[in-house]
Amino acid sequence: MNILRALVCPVLLCAALIGATMSPVMADPIEIEHERGILRLDTPAKRIATINWSFTESVIALGLDPVAIADPQDYVDWVAKPDLPESFVDLGPRASPNLEALRAAKPDLIITVPDIGMAYEKLAEIAPVLELKLFDGKNPAFETAREVFDKIARATGRETLAQAYLENVDQKLREYGKRVKTAIGPDQKINVVFFFDESNVGIFADTSLPGSVMTAMDVPVAYDGEVNKWGFGRGGLEILAPYAKETLVYTTPVPEVILDKLLNSPIWKVMDFSRNNRVYELPVVWAYGGVPSALRFARLLTETIESGPQQ
Amino acid sequence: MSNAAARNADLRGRLSLPAILTGILGILSLVVLVIDFWPYLANGQVPQALFSPDETDFDQILFHFSTLPRLAMAFLCGAGLALAGAAIQTVLRNPLASPTTLGVGAGVEFALTLFVLLAPASLAMFQEAFALAGGLIALGAVYLIAANRGNATLWLILAGMIVNLLLQSGSQIILLFNEQYLQSIFMWGAGDLAQNGWEDMQFVWPRVLMGMIAILALSRPLDLLALGDDTAGSLGAKVTVLRLLILGLAVFITASVISAAGMIGFIGLAIPAALRIAGLSRSRDLMIYSLFTGGFALLIVDFVVRQFNGLGGDPLPTGAATALFGAPFIIFMLRKARIMPGTQNDDQHSDQQIISKTALSIALAVSLVIGVVFSLFVSLDGNGFVILGWQDSSLDILIGRSERTFAAMICGAALAVSGTLIQRVGRNPLASPEITGVSSATALAMILALAILGFGQRAELMVIGAAGGIASLLVLLALCRKFTHAPHYMLLNGLAMTAILGAMVRIVLTRSGTQTSILMSWLAGTTYFTNMNEVMIVAGVTGALLILAIALRRPLELASLGTDQSVSLGLGISGFQFAMMLLAAILAASATLLVGPLSFVGLMAPHLARVAGYRLAGGHLLGAVLIGVNVMMVAEWLARNMIYPAQLPTGLIAALIGTGYFLILAIRKR
Repeated sequence: MNILRALVCPVLLCAALIGATMSPVMADPIEIEHERGILRLDTPAKRIATINWSFTESVIALGLDPVAIADPQDYVDWVAKPDLPESFVDLGPRASPNLEALRAAKPDLIITVPDIGMAYEKLAEIAPVLELKLFDGKNPAFETAREVFDKIARATGRETLAQAYLENVDQKLREYGKRVKTAIGPDQKINVVFFFDESNVGIFADTSLPGSVMTAMDVPVAYDGEVNKWGFGRGGLEILAPYAKETLVYTTPVPEVILDKLLNSPIWKVMDFSRNNRVYELPVVWAYGGVPSALRFARLLTETIESGPQQ
Repeated sequence: MSNAAARNADLRGRLSLPAILTGILGILSLVVLVIDFWPYLANGQVPQALFSPDETDFDQILFHFSTLPRLAMAFLCGAGLALAGAAIQTVLRNPLASPTTLGVGAGVEFALTLFVLLAPASLAMFQEAFALAGGLIALGAVYLIAANRGNATLWLILAGMIVNLLLQSGSQIILLFNEQYLQSIFMWGAGDLAQNGWEDMQFVWPRVLMGMIAILALSRPLDLLALGDDTAGSLGAKVTVLRLLILGLAVFITASVISAAGMIGFIGLAIPAALRIAGLSRSRDLMIYSLFTGGFALLIVDFVVRQFNGLGGDPLPTGAATALFGAPFIIFMLRKARIMPGTQNDDQHSDQQIISKTALSIALAVSLVIGVVFSLFVSLDGNGFVILGWQDSSLDILIGRSERTFAAMICGAALAVSGTLIQRVGRNPLASPEITGVSSATALAMILALAILGFGQRAELMVIGAAGGIASLLVLLALCRKFTHAPHYMLLNGLAMTAILGAMVRIVLTRSGTQTSILMSWLAGTTYFTNMNEVMIVAGVTGALLILAIALRRPLELASLGTDQSVSLGLGISGFQFAMMLLAAILAASATLLVGPLSFVGLMAPHLARVAGYRLAGGHLLGAVLIGVNVMMVAEWLARNMIYPAQLPTGLIAALIGTGYFLILAIRKR
């Protein structure tokens, strides 16, 4: 984080200096480094369109209502909080946001992910585009989420607010971390898992969003095996076996049928965490989100563990 | 029937070949079992691990509740599918028939996807009946399309392909709107044998066993069926009832297997077909051998797959892996089995022209002009029709709409020309550009580049896609370098290649996370990402090749007469056929580059044009282009507006229109 800042700041400073000398008339244009080079905005953006939930929640957390949002219905089911604004333009699926609807929303900034980079030019015709990567397979997701949060704050001219928000997050994470450690005991680590179906599970490592948040909370992450770009490993239930002595938390929503079968399966039942009652169900929180989801995850993890294991 | 006598003589000569084959697979399976049981063999805990695992020993629990049921499931699924395949092949007297090629698998998959995602929990007990119905309806549709055609073998396979494509499109539409659950559905859809307890096994075994016993009990009459309807009829067997009964049982086994383990391709096709080539012709023998060979084969394939599933890595689904093993085998088999008759003069349409060609051409042209204006200026916004008024952004909106509308139309034209060439040269009215495999290869290359290698720029993807298309073309040419039956071989090799690529796409889709839905909508054919430059380039290519094809209309006419006649007319027909196929493949690849592997237009437009009375090659080409362009224009408008603000892939709408057309056609023919 600090290293990154140290790297990014001089670049921005230089860029700002060059910008200042080249166009002295402009009053401090905002310059943000993103996947397509440097985005320049003359004034802070006010009408934001978000093509990814991570951006949607970050913009809302910064006190701004996005004017256009992709996949709002699923946001309610999978991200839950913060609440969506009362009125906005529904852009349809994240994979192919409706360009005419987007244009009709008259955004002055579109925040998107490289996954639909193929549509970059089309988006750029409508409004300036900020294309930010959320998962690169190397950086811990929480750090990336903070950088993204910073960039969105600068694009919207809300740096002070963002700084306060992040400071609050840091303080809360430390506090939650202490509470979790008190609740689970000094020797326990935590597995955060999710269920694909009744025999396949995913398990988050320290580069994932839940994992990197736990690192920031100083709560030890159990899983240290192979992972993909999003920071989770994947396999049959046996993938959990080496970490069965630790505590297990699973994310929701999971279809009832799958959960029933899985929790009643012999392999699950024989695992140390289920024999010794160290299984917790986490309420809905978006495990691939931004800073607001990170904070929400920390809070829900703490509350879940403090309120005792699932019976 | 001298052929049968020769085969019998041949059979006596190598009677032991199927036995040897089964024996080898049996021994390999035994090796697999020994490897899996080794820790318990070594310390004499086999009975304990088998029947009452030590609850404190995790390895034993895992062995008892994961490895053992997986072994049993693999054997049972393999045995069930192979037996079902043998039964279907015997009943339909078609060596290329199988649960997967005839759409049964796709039908069951569609029904289950629909059910799992949409049905309320209170209806859970009807899930099985629903899956079974899905499989039966799919098979029925395939049979309906192919019934009463001259060359039933090829027609059934092609009809199966159409129904497969349609049902897969259907499943995709449902999935696109439930993308949060995509990963689990895709794991299952790709054939996942991972077990977690004996529950699935308890569901599958009584059903599959019952089906097997019933089919085997009916296998004596099956031998009568194998002699042909007339013979069987005169022998007193109630042919239709028996056929339906056996097909129903085969579908029942397939549905049970797929419900539990997902799509496991090719076992049902490859095993019985291989045994038949090895010399088995009596249905009872074939089925018993298929049962064991199929079970052993899947057991072994699954063992190999398990070795790749390291902890933490992305698992490789068994079903898709089976297709990777199985499809090359089909290519091999095509060269061994003489399944393609030398001549093919079926489906000479006796239909009357619906209206005069001139009137039709004018009508199509007028609808084109009106349609374009409508497409550009009228849209739906969730509340009703909106006519584009004049505002600042109107021009931009018009440009956006015209990019997509023209992209769809150009693809319609390219595929129509491609399809016309393939249908004429292949002399097969159900042939289509997709089945050369070129579009699949183009799509696969782009998907691999996007999802695995991380290329995100459209220009890069286009180049990679083109390279993939060209590579597949070369493979196809290498496979078909013997020209004797070039068109048919090309089609069937294309079919096998499409299957291989399809399996690879499934594997990629199980591990590409949030990009999956982008890939899926692109696979189904979307104009979302196109831009005007690309449209112009593809339009240029299509135009040039269309003109070339029209210039070659006379030899094309002769080529459609049939090899025998044209050879006697002194034409070097094979080389020409070949060049035309090449042209068709280039057009299909260009269309794929632009909007993804759009299905059906290339099949439907030329067919419709011919039925409408465009008989001569030149007119046929132009008629097909007019129809293709119109259909795609309509599909594109519907795709963009039907469920605003979400948008459906244009290819899915085109597929729905196309299959609907074929079903109506099939029903009207009866």
